[in-house]
Amino acid sequence: MTATTMRVGQRANLFADRNFKWLVIAPSIIVLLVVGIYPLVYTGIVSFQQITMMEEDTSWAGFMNYAALFSDGRLWESFGHTFLILAIALPIELVLGLLMAQLFLEKLPGKQVFIALLIIPTVISPIVAGSTWRLMFDNQYGPVNQIIGWFAGEPTAILWITRPEWVYPAILICEVWQWTPFMFLILLAALSNVDRSLIEAAEIDGASFWKIFFRITLPVIRPVMVIAILIRALDLFRIFDIIWAMTKGGPGSITETISIYTYIRAFKEFETSYAGAIAFLVIILLSVIVIFALKRVEIAR
Amino acid sequence: MAGLRLRGVHKFYGKVHAVRGIDLEIPDQGFTVLVGPSGCGKSTLLRMIAGLEVVDEGTVEVDGAVVNDMRPKDRDVAMVFQNYALYPHMSVFENIAFGLRMRKVPNAETRERVHRAAEMLGIPELLERMPRQLSGGQRQHVAMGRALVRDAKMYLFDEPLSNLDAQLRDEMRTEIKRLHQELRTTMIYVTHDQVEAMTLADRIVLLRDGVIEQEGDPLELYERPTNRFVAGFLGSPAMNFVPARIEAENGGLGVRLPDQTVLALPEGRRSAYADQVGKTILIGMRPEHMHRDREGEQRDGFGRISVTVEIVEPMGANTLINFHLGETSILARLDAYAAEQPGQKLDLLVDMNRAVLIDPESQRVI
Repeated sequence: MTATTMRVGQRANLFADRNFKWLVIAPSIIVLLVVGIYPLVYTGIVSFQQITMMEEDTSWAGFMNYAALFSDGRLWESFGHTFLILAIALPIELVLGLLMAQLFLEKLPGKQVFIALLIIPTVISPIVAGSTWRLMFDNQYGPVNQIIGWFAGEPTAILWITRPEWVYPAILICEVWQWTPFMFLILLAALSNVDRSLIEAAEIDGASFWKIFFRITLPVIRPVMVIAILIRALDLFRIFDIIWAMTKGGPGSITETISIYTYIRAFKEFETSYAGAIAFLVIILLSVIVIFALKRVEIAR
Repeated sequence: MAGLRLRGVHKFYGKVHAVRGIDLEIPDQGFTVLVGPSGCGKSTLLRMIAGLEVVDEGTVEVDGAVVNDMRPKDRDVAMVFQNYALYPHMSVFENIAFGLRMRKVPNAETRERVHRAAEMLGIPELLERMPRQLSGGQRQHVAMGRALVRDAKMYLFDEPLSNLDAQLRDEMRTEIKRLHQELRTTMIYVTHDQVEAMTLADRIVLLRDGVIEQEGDPLELYERPTNRFVAGFLGSPAMNFVPARIEAENGGLGVRLPDQTVLALPEGRRSAYADQVGKTILIGMRPEHMHRDREGEQRDGFGRISVTVEIVEPMGANTLINFHLGETSILARLDAYAAEQPGQKLDLLVDMNRAVLIDPESQRVI
């Protein structure tokens, strides 16, 4: 082999080495552009038009749709409903998940089986979970009322799905039932990764169980916990399936969340451009929150 | 101040019998080193003393009171962990102060004691840093500080130097010895490194497979090991073991080596082996107990062997050589420049007062 051919061969190798990373990530970038960025941009464009599915008018509307958002009382109520569910469900899921994870750190017989069983709700499709819980809460045939009846000693007929004061507890029970295992799983992984010797050092330093938990364990798993909270918060913010299966936003519009309201405007009332404006408002709000939250986590590092 | 006493201590991990009936008294204010190969139960023993492991059988007593069921926080011990176990989310100051805060020491006193401990270890400039910003050696210092700041009955060290590089390890060893001389408190130190054990200890407890092989002060173990394992474990490079035979030799007693050389036993030791003539033994000779014989003189208590040097390793201060006696490869530590090149023939004098004779069956020193 002569010196020249060797150099050419080496150069080809070098090219492949340097550009291999681009080749590897290219497919996912392309998928992201097609299914993520294109619809996003298109939604943005649509939100400045006057498209409805009832007529052929597609003329530009400027900021008309956005201006209308501010006077849409039902929209802001749906925001309120969303935050209500978020504010109650998230802390419950976090605390329950943490307690369960702490419990499962101990050596228990059949631990793996129990963990697998506990994960099942999270694996079920939310729409199925919602439908099942609606049947469970049924005022005539549902087992929930029947079981309460056993304890109460008389037949009970709580109208879970149709009474305004019971419909939120029903939704929250379903939501917490389905997603606490998710918190549990992530926090269990985080807790089992905490270095044993940290706990032992704290024990020798004279810390009680609760002191160790709050002063050592929680701060150590904090980064993972923040990510778990963020994931669940975003999920709760766009909660749809469970509520749609259980109440379709009713009774009236009392359980309408932001996702359900958007869906109704877009696909029941066919106001495509207005729904686009709502969607964009949500995207902007969430982006700000996520960026802020991630910054905080990074600073903590 | 505390006297610690273990009686018949056992530990089982499932079917593994990790600690098998340890009886041990650890003197107050002393520096005791638990040493042995990995898996000998030394760390387990230390963790049982700390209260981190349950004692399955037997008792651990501090000042005459059984503490088996006492939790670590109530035993008033301080401990340095092998991986240092620094709290990653706390500054160095808070790491050192944590034990004092948990024990409700007033703030002003905490501050003063943390600074004093940091001063003692030469790390006052690190107090504001976070553990992840520290080098291995600095982390080790912080871990030491966290133990020393406490006014504990006992200080426990679980292989505290094993994650450091060789030079730092030497420095820290000296440092720990100095701290013990200043503080004069009870320290129990676990290591697998016999050099650390020899240099630090007032008293060595040598363990193997969950039992104590021998205990005593370092030089006693070095000069008078009771069995082959102890003889081979302490000392670096390790002792050479050569199969040999005790024989009567013109009026006295001698040891016949595989190359047919006979090393005469010194007068003082003869009577002990008078009834063992003809017995097959192992003779243990430390590398440093062989010297080059340049004059050809006959010194009392020394036996002469003629060897052919195979490998020469000059160390500067002295020279290591390798040669064969029969089937056995032998290492000797000679004076600097005592050997020049492979193939050279040398006469060596073996210090027969310090050689040990071992019964190959029982592995005990006879």
